Amino acid sequence: MPISRAFLFVLAAALAAPLAFAHHSFAMFDMDKRVTLAGTVTSFEWTNPHSYIEIDVPDDKGTVKHWSIEMGSPSILQQSGWKFSSLKKGDKTTLIISPLKNGQAGGFLYTATLPDGRVLGNGPGRQP
Amino acid sequence: MKSNLSRRHVFALAFLTLLPAAAPAQSGDHPDLTGAWGIYRGGRGADPKLAAPPPTPLVLKPEYAKPYEAKRAADAEAQRRGEQLANGSVRCVPYGVPTMMSIAIYPVEIIQTPKQVTIIGEAFSEVRRVYLDRPQNKIEDVAPGYYGRSVGHWEGDTLVVDTIGIKTTVNGYRGMPHSEQMRITERFHLVAPDVLHDQITIEDPVVLEKPMTYTVAYKRMPNYEMVEFVCDNNREYVDENGVVHMKLRDH
Repeated sequence: MPISRAFLFVLAAALAAPLAFAHHSFAMFDMDKRVTLAGTVTSFEWTNPHSYIEIDVPDDKGTVKHWSIEMGSPSILQQSGWKFSSLKKGDKTTLIISPLKNGQAGGFLYTATLPDGRVLGNGPGRQP
Repeated sequence: MKSNLSRRHVFALAFLTLLPAAAPAQSGDHPDLTGAWGIYRGGRGADPKLAAPPPTPLVLKPEYAKPYEAKRAADAEAQRRGEQLANGSVRCVPYGVPTMMSIAIYPVEIIQTPKQVTIIGEAFSEVRRVYLDRPQNKIEDVAPGYYGRSVGHWEGDTLVVDTIGIKTTVNGYRGMPHSEQMRITERFHLVAPDVLHDQITIEDPVVLEKPMTYTVAYKRMPNYEMVEFVCDNNREYVDENGVVHMKLRDH
């Protein structure tokens, strides 16, 4: 299921009401695609206009590739249960992301599995 | 000792007499809008009367309609290509009035006092000040800005706010253009104890064929603590074609 029902609901509501994007649209990401990244967090930035997870992801042969993953803002993320301390450098995590369309090592978070096993989404309408 | 007591007594009596007269003047005359308000979307099972009514049509004068439609078409075409054309917010420039009243799902906070209503938008930490029961200035006397000059007064249970002096580079409803003659009238009204409507009417004799009105509905968020929003980690950048990209890191 590439797009959740909740996301479609939010989208429909956004079309009905005169709401502005907070920062930018999702055009640069392939929102229909899901890529799984399992790796080690190099930094978790609880910042505006977006938060980021920087993560080193080893492939089958152990070669490490670095990814920059964009999230919502702290205000949006806390509505999905995130805190500034949810991740820290060195944590092992598995992310499901929508990758950049240009093929570079970046994407937009869909879900993250925290070290304590909790799975968090990326704001209302963007959760598991 | 005896006279001391009686003097205290008299003072206490005088205080008690004054108190009931002073209290209602502070509050109670108007609905209390103070607090955080989240965008209210209604949804399944919600009372349709509480949802925002649909907007009236946006009718621009022909000379403004053409470039506006062309810009909307270019934006839509870029989206189809998987690109976004830059706007101010991509560069972390705030939205201003009236767009700041409805940014995605970000709450606004209202602080109501007898002489001033202050409205803080969480996204970009935007602040508007509405001076109550003061005359409005002439448009040509207000320095154009993001928030302009707002004055307000109560009409029964409705707070009516008049705003002028919005910069022409600050886009309005759905990115509509406007002139320096734009005037925004807002009517804040509780449609239920915890549901607030802001009915926003935009008048612009230069750009609009007729005034347009839209409404933003809010739900009270008791005990919500506003989140700070300082745009210090903006990794989006705009290329020479005006297209938005994301900066990546290698570690």
